[in-house]
Amino acid sequence: MKHILRALALAMCVTLFAAAPASGQERSATKQGFELAPKSGKKILVFRPSVQVGSQSTGGMFEPNGEWTDSAKRNLQVALEKLQTKLGNEIVVAPEAYGEDAQKLAEHMALFAAVSDAVIEYQFFRGNRLPTKKRDNKEDVFDWSLGAGVADLPGAKDADYGLFLYNRDAYGSTGRKVLQVLAMLGPGIPVKSGEHQGYAGLVDLKTGDILWLNADAAMGGDVREAEGADKRAAQLLEDFPGSDLGQ
Amino acid sequence: MTHRMFRTLTGAVAAMALLATPALAHRLRTAKEAATVAGSDMSVTPDRDWNRLSMAPGKHAETWTLDGEQLNDVTFYGGIAPDEPLVRERSKKRDPLPKFLQSTLLVEIPELLEGTYRTQKNIASFELLSTEPTNFLGNKGVRFTYRYTDDDALTRNGEARAAIVGGKLYMITFDAPRLYYFDKSIEPARALMTSATLPGGGAH
Repeated sequence: MKHILRALALAMCVTLFAAAPASGQERSATKQGFELAPKSGKKILVFRPSVQVGSQSTGGMFEPNGEWTDSAKRNLQVALEKLQTKLGNEIVVAPEAYGEDAQKLAEHMALFAAVSDAVIEYQFFRGNRLPTKKRDNKEDVFDWSLGAGVADLPGAKDADYGLFLYNRDAYGSTGRKVLQVLAMLGPGIPVKSGEHQGYAGLVDLKTGDILWLNADAAMGGDVREAEGADKRAAQLLEDFPGSDLGQ
Repeated sequence: MTHRMFRTLTGAVAAMALLATPALAHRLRTAKEAATVAGSDMSVTPDRDWNRLSMAPGKHAETWTLDGEQLNDVTFYGGIAPDEPLVRERSKKRDPLPKFLQSTLLVEIPELLEGTYRTQKNIASFELLSTEPTNFLGNKGVRFTYRYTDDDALTRNGEARAAIVGGKLYMITFDAPRLYYFDKSIEPARALMTSATLPGGGAH
């Protein structure tokens, strides 16, 4: 239930944003005081992106599709490799993880997605902010972390920062599209068909603090196609610190 | 086709009802100020500021958080009556939830929470790690810990205290990812549990 409610709340945030741009929806943030100059001598460890593609049932539930996921993984890998050289700093590709290491990495990736969800829901969407974080928000403080456990991830000892990339795409099923039409024809409520979460985060590999986050629950680019994956990768890494991407 | 269409329409109505509800602001729960929870007489006194989320998981339930319910979730269950589920059912027909019964024993409460989570959170693995008697709301209660992995592949740890008072179930649960967030927020969550009182709670 909570998942559906959360998905709907997220959809509502996006819907309200679309209806009232004045309320202000942000998409990216940088930790206060963090700066990364090009060619700074810092090493960025790029973890293998988490990619899930499926369809969205009428009620908004995610139903995974193996074939779509496989092509999206391939497409995004190629797209990201094209951009990695333009990130402005030295890139280290994370070693392939096995067994316990792979499990640890997957869990951190899931935590990164959960933190990004919380940031979108409770910080980027201004009308939905948590009262205890009001002062932080007023002073533009961006204080979110994955915890110091990131220091034990494979490859972390050889780099300064880790780049986490998470994608979850749900393409609207026929039922969902019917709901979209019904809702529009009936009470005139816009319902989203399909969800396209794309999160990119630069993380301090000693503290786990998120230094830069670009997260959107409505990303562009059909990752099942090579061209769409290029678009998605560019959108994910837009304004990456120290790079000239997106400028 | 008819069944599918029905599902579609029910989904549509539910989604529209939710979308039509205006977003209510989350409320601040201030440190050292007692607050009643979950529409009941159960009261807690936080040792730091918390946020009460505007969206309640059930008629007799309420959620507080520090960073978002994905990262730290305290849910209060305030007087679940016999034959009621812990939280609102997604679909009575397709995803029925286990009910608290007049015959439910304290030791069976962890199983009630497990059954509820398995259906509502769509989880495959739930492990009860410990169960022990405790005093809760001035009554004989149960304290238990658990771990589960839900459909976003994130493993969460949980800790709960529950008691049956006057035939109704009162419970406080704390759930957070086992990575970083559980340890970060367990102490203020325990402070809430320890501070919980119920008028006349000790009399039963």
